[in-house]
Amino acid sequence: MTADPGDYDRRIAALAALAIGLQVIEAAIPSPVPGIKPGLANVITLVALVTLGWRAAIAVTLLRVVGASLLLGTLLSPGFWLSLAGALAALSILAPLWRLYPHHLSALGLAVAAALAHTLGQFLLAWALIIPHPQLPLLLPPLLLAALIAGAVTGILTNSVLSDPRIQRHVRNPSTTGTG
Amino acid sequence: MHGLRWGDALVVTLALALVGSAFGLVYTPAGGATELVVTQAGAAPRHFPLNEPRTIGIEGAAGVTTIRIEPGRARCLHSPGSQNICERAGWLERPGDMAVSLPNRLVLQVRGPGTDFDSMHF
Repeated sequence: MTADPGDYDRRIAALAALAIGLQVIEAAIPSPVPGIKPGLANVITLVALVTLGWRAAIAVTLLRVVGASLLLGTLLSPGFWLSLAGALAALSILAPLWRLYPHHLSALGLAVAAALAHTLGQFLLAWALIIPHPQLPLLLPPLLLAALIAGAVTGILTNSVLSDPRIQRHVRNPSTTGTG
Repeated sequence: MHGLRWGDALVVTLALALVGSAFGLVYTPAGGATELVVTQAGAAPRHFPLNEPRTIGIEGAAGVTTIRIEPGRARCLHSPGSQNICERAGWLERPGDMAVSLPNRLVLQVRGPGTDFDSMHF
C-alpha cells in the first residue's frame, strides 16, 4: 500500500497538530523546576518515525517546534532555540537508532535515547550561548535523571500507542524498515 | 509489558550509566580550594594557604573580621556588618567562592588550581 503524496502530507499535518497541542498543554502545566517536563510530544515524533519514516519525523518535529512557539509567543526567543536544539539533538540520535526498530529496539529504547539527547542538546546550547556560567553543569545530572524518567514514561506510552490496531496497520512492514 | 526488545535493556542500562556518571563527575569535589585571598581596600591582597586549621583576624575600617581557616575551606566567623552578610556566605569551598564585608571593605575569596570565574552577569 503506498500513500499518495496528499495523504502523506495530511498525516504529517495531523501528527504535527497533535504534537503542537500536546506541547501547548504541557507548557500550561506549572513545573516546579524549569526545564523538567514530560515531553509528551516525543510520543508523536516516534509515532511519525515508525509509521511514516525518517523524513516525516523531521517534518513533524520542526512543524511542532515552530508551531508551538507561534502559539506560545516564544518564536525566536531563548526558549524557542532551546526547544529547537533539543529537537535536533533527539532527531540526530534517532537517525542511527530507528533502523533497529522493531527487531532489536522498541519505542521505549528510542524514547529514552531521544529524551537524553534532547536534554543534552538543550543543555549544551544553554551553556555555550545563553547562560555560559561555570557552575551550570551542576544542573545537568538532575536534568538527565528527569529526562531518563520522562523518556521511559513516554516510551511506554508510545509502545502502547503503537500496539493499537488502528496505528499498527500503518506501521511499516518490519522487513522493509531497513530500506526506508 | 509486551513489545520490549533486548536493545531497550541496553539503551536503558547505558542511559543509567550516563546519568550515574554525570552525578559522579559533576558532584565530585574536583580540585578544591587551596588558598584564601583577602583583598582589602587600600592594601595589597593577602594570601593564606588552606592547609591547617586556624583562626585569623583582619583589622578593617569598622572592626575586626574573624576568619576561620580549615583544610580546603574557609569562612567568615564574625564581621562588624549589621546584616551578617559576610557570615551568611557560609563555608567557601569551591574555587571562586567569596564572602564580602562591606563595612570592613573586605573581600574573601578562595582559589584553587583552576581559574574559575566568580560570577557572570548579562
